[in-house]
Formats: sequence, structure tokens, C-alpha cells
Amino acid sequence: MLSQWLFYAFATVSVLGALGLILSRHPMNGALWFVVTLVSLAGLYSLLSASLLFALQLIVYAGAIMSLIIFIIMFLNIQPADIPDEKGKWAYLLGGCLAVIPIGLLLLKIVSSLPEGDVDIVGNGFGQVKSVGLVLFRDWLLPFEIVSILLLVALVGAVVLAGKKEMTQ
Amino acid sequence: MNCDIVFLLPLFIVTIGAILLMLLSAFESIRLEVASALSVGIFALAFLVQLVPIGLTDVLPFVSIFNGMLAVSDFTRIASMIIIACGLFTAMSAISYFRQNNFGSLEFFSLMTFAVSGMLLLTMAQELITVFIALETVSLSIYVLVGYNRRNVLSSEAVLKYLILGAFAGGFFAMGIALVYGALGDTGFAAIAASVSRDGLLHNPALAGGLLFILFALFFKVTVFPFHSWVVDVYDGAPIPVTGFMATALKTAIIAVLANVLLLAGDIRESWLDMLFYLTVLTLFAGNLIAIGQNSLKRMLAASGIVHTGYLLIALIAVSGDQFSGSVILYYLAAYAASTLGIFASLSYLSGTDEKRKEFNDFSGLAKVRPYSAAAITIFLLSMAGIPPTAGFMGKLYIIVTAYQGGHVILAVLGIVSSILSMWYYLRLIIAMYFHEADDLFETSGSRSAPVCAFILAICVLALSLYPVAI
Repeated sequence: MLSQWLFYAFATVSVLGALGLILSRHPMNGALWFVVTLVSLAGLYSLLSASLLFALQLIVYAGAIMSLIIFIIMFLNIQPADIPDEKGKWAYLLGGCLAVIPIGLLLLKIVSSLPEGDVDIVGNGFGQVKSVGLVLFRDWLLPFEIVSILLLVALVGAVVLAGKKEMTQ
Repeated sequence: MNCDIVFLLPLFIVTIGAILLMLLSAFESIRLEVASALSVGIFALAFLVQLVPIGLTDVLPFVSIFNGMLAVSDFTRIASMIIIACGLFTAMSAISYFRQNNFGSLEFFSLMTFAVSGMLLLTMAQELITVFIALETVSLSIYVLVGYNRRNVLSSEAVLKYLILGAFAGGFFAMGIALVYGALGDTGFAAIAASVSRDGLLHNPALAGGLLFILFALFFKVTVFPFHSWVVDVYDGAPIPVTGFMATALKTAIIAVLANVLLLAGDIRESWLDMLFYLTVLTLFAGNLIAIGQNSLKRMLAASGIVHTGYLLIALIAVSGDQFSGSVILYYLAAYAASTLGIFASLSYLSGTDEKRKEFNDFSGLAKVRPYSAAAITIFLLSMAGIPPTAGFMGKLYIIVTAYQGGHVILAVLGIVSSILSMWYYLRLIIAMYFHEADDLFETSGSRSAPVCAFILAICVLALSLYPVAI
């Protein structure tokens, strides 16, 4: 029972954080709202007994990646004058919301059809480093390996796009 | 076991080649020509290995290690051959392009080779998460290639548009995977096919909705009608060889995935037949309408790419799912790729410093100054318009006959109508080249690789039309 209330609380907070992210004017406020979403998602993972994922979510996403993002925003030193004047923002938002209503209805129908699960703690080391590692390296070896190519491409791409302006030759 | 490595060898060659090119980019003494020649060599080797026949039924290489997440068949083999050939010709024509557009660097070839390796994975992947990672690999490298010219504002605009919309499409794809997993507890194509052929698609809303989101994301990548709005600006802003690469290799890879997903089980296609029908019709005519209004050659080719996607959708609707060989789709893709790459190779050669020639009028009188170039461009344009004796004509013929035999008479008729409409914008360039006076000298860099590339492709366009296809 408690876990169900916890689920609703975390779910609501994560959606609120996402709303704050897209509605706040200054990027810094947006980034801080995003931390709220990431932390409440970590809470949802813990309800699913995914202890490794819970720790990674907090350390890597809410910790390392968010501090990187915040550092970058600070480097850019954004003043209120730099932020573009978003005219008709609310009209666009309203129009967008109306446009995605059919998709929302579809999603509601889909979610209501999903089987109910209980959120009790699963034993036997479920969700811990060893069991996640076994699944990752046995059943999901191929996706795990090709992610390395994806990361390599991202790295090369970042070097190309952000490298020095003078091109060779 | 010995054969398994041969089936995957092209993928390994291309991936290792990409990593090699990436390492070489660190050396300043290596010239662009060397990197281009090296990537041409890698693609040629992969192409030769890919010639080894596999057979019509799916073979799962290294099934105990990869858990059946990869499957190869003649369909994936030929699709991979088209993709590898696209990479080869793009690498060849890029070197002529960079002579006159001074922003080339060695990473260009590395990123392109990475994109090809992701595309090869895409054609073989039999599992949604693998598809997603391969798709993101391809998309990421193409985002960077689109924005390669950082001094050009149009190019930056293109990469921003493509990146944001593409990330959105990627989000849709990921949500689709989550819903399919929620429905089945599995993301493998085999499990989806088994579930759909057992219970039907629409009995499981999460599965149907998840697959719908996945289809939308793929439709975005191949520019099906409501998801086509980005294509004209992005193709316009990208460097010419990249535009050609996107229009051919990317489209081939995504159409292969679409065929793999749509033809998993007969019920998937049947349930969405109405939606696919209307999307196809709208794609055909929206593409034509946009193309007619363009004055810039690249924008016209981008819009005409939408129309060609429409033809491929007709083929996807009409081919029978139980005995799928995909020969009609692959033939059309090969014909389209040869003519499109040919025209982009010619443009890489002729567009001049900083792509200064881009409109129809800029090519007036080309036939008087450079008769061979004009003849090659004419062959490519006639093939795209679907006029015999070119490969494009045969491709359209096969697709329309398939649609007729499959009972989709309306689609067959609309395909012919759209082909006639498309003459308008293809013939416009031919008229400009042949029936106007030249006021330009069409000076070029003198690099021979793009003209050679165009020459080979012109022969391909004519030779492919003699190649018979079993419908």
C-alpha cells in the first residue's frame, strides 16, 4: 500500500519536474527542474527493486551529467537579455497540447491495458550488479557491444563540430 | 560456424575500416585523397565479400552468442550491397567536392564509414533495441555530416532542425520499444511475429500502439507525408555528397527495417492497410507538389525523394508477406540509388566554389560547354522520371505491376499519374541544359573522381534496366 502511494508521489513529482523544465525561462532553472525529474525517476527504479539502476541514476545522471550541464550553462554566462523573447509561447503550448490529445488518448488506452504488477521487493539479488551484469553480457551482448560504436561516433562528431575553426587543407 | 563469419564479414570490415580512418584522422600529414582512397578500398572489399550468396531464408549468425538478434538473408545481403555501393560512390565524389569547398577533413570519411556500418547493422537487426542503437549510430554520424560546413548558416540551420526533430523521432522509437516490451516482455522480432500471428495485432493495445510509434519514427526518417517537413531544408543545407548519401543509403537502410517490421506477420500490414494507403497517396502528391514549386536543384531533388518514398510504400503495401523476397523493393532502391547518386556526383563536380551553382538557371546551356556531363545528368534525370530504357523505368514498372497483381489498382493508377506529374520538374533541368544559351564557363576543379563516378553510375543505370526481376 505504501509502495503504491510512493509510486504516485514519485510519478507526480517527475512529471512536475518535466513541466518545470520546459516552462522555465532561464536554462539554469530548467536544469534544476530536470534534477527533480531525474531524482524522482531514481525513486521509481528503487520501487522496482532495481538497486544498481537506482544508484547509477543518482550518481551518473543526477550527479555527474547534471553537474556537467550546469557547468556549461554557467560558462555561457546567460544574462536575462540573452534569452529570446518568446512571443505567443502559451498559444503554441496550448496548440501543441490540443494536437497531441489523440496520442494521449491512445496512450491512456494502452496503459490501462497493461497487466498490473505489484511493487514488492524481489529477492535473490535481483537488480544488483551481478545479476544485471549477467543479463547484460549473456543475453544482450550485441546491443551492449554496438553501444561502444555509438559512443565512438558521438565522440568523433563532437570533436568535428566543436573543434578549432581553422580547417586543415 | 565458419560460414557465420563470412556473413558478418562486410559489417566487420566496414566497422574496423571506420575505426582505422578515425585513428588516421589524428595524423596531419595524411591528405584527404588518401583517406578517400582508403574508404573506397574498404567499401570495395566489403562489397566483394558481400557477393557471397546466402539464400532466401533467414540465417542467424552466431545464434548462441548474439541470441538471434542478427539475421541475414539475400534481402539483407542485397540491401547491404546497395548501402556499401552508396558509401563507395559518395567517398569518390566527395573528394572532387572538397577541392572547391574548402572545409573537408579526414573525419568526414570516418564518420561516413561509421554511418555505413550502422546501416548494415540496421538491415540485419532482428531486435528492437539493437535497431534503436544502430539507428542512433547512423543518425548521429549523419547529423555531424549535415553540419560539416560550420561557416555556412544554412548548414547550421539544417543540422539544428534535423537534430531536434530526429531526437524527437528517436524518443518516439524508444517509447514504442517500451510499450512493446510492456506488452510482450520481449523485444525480439520473432516474439512479436509469434504473438501477432497467434492473437492478432489489435487484441493487444500496447503492442499495436508500440509498433505504431516505431512505424512513425521510421516514417520520419524516410520522409513519409506528415513527417516530411524537415527534408527540404536539411537536404538543402547539407554538403552535396552528404545529401546524396542521405537520400540513398539512409533510405535503403530504413526501408529495409520497415520491410522487416511490416512483413513480420501478415496481420501487422493488414491492420494498417488503410493508414498506409492514405499515407502513400499523400506522400506521392505532397512530394510532387513541393518539387514543382522549387527553383533550387537540391531542394527539388529533396522533394522528389519524398515521391520515391511513396513508390517504395506502394511496393511495401503490395508485396505478399508469405513469400517475401523483396526483389521489387530492392530493384527500385538500386535504380533510385544509382540515378540519385549519379546526379549528386555530377553536382559535386559542377556546382563550383562554395556551391555557387544551385538553381535550375545556373545550369543553362551546360550541354554546349560540357556535353558529356549534360548527357550523364540527362540519363539520371530520365531514370528518376521513369522513362525507358533506364533502370528507373523498370523499377516503376515492376512496382506498378506488383500493385496491380496484388489488387491495389488505385495505387497503381496513382503511381502512373504521379510519374507523369514528376516529368515537369525533371524535364525542366534538361530543357535548361539543352535549349538555353550558356553564360557560364562551368569551370571545375579538374578532379577526375566525381566524373568517373558519374560515368560508372550512368552505365549502371542503363545496365540495371536489362536485369530481370521475378515479381
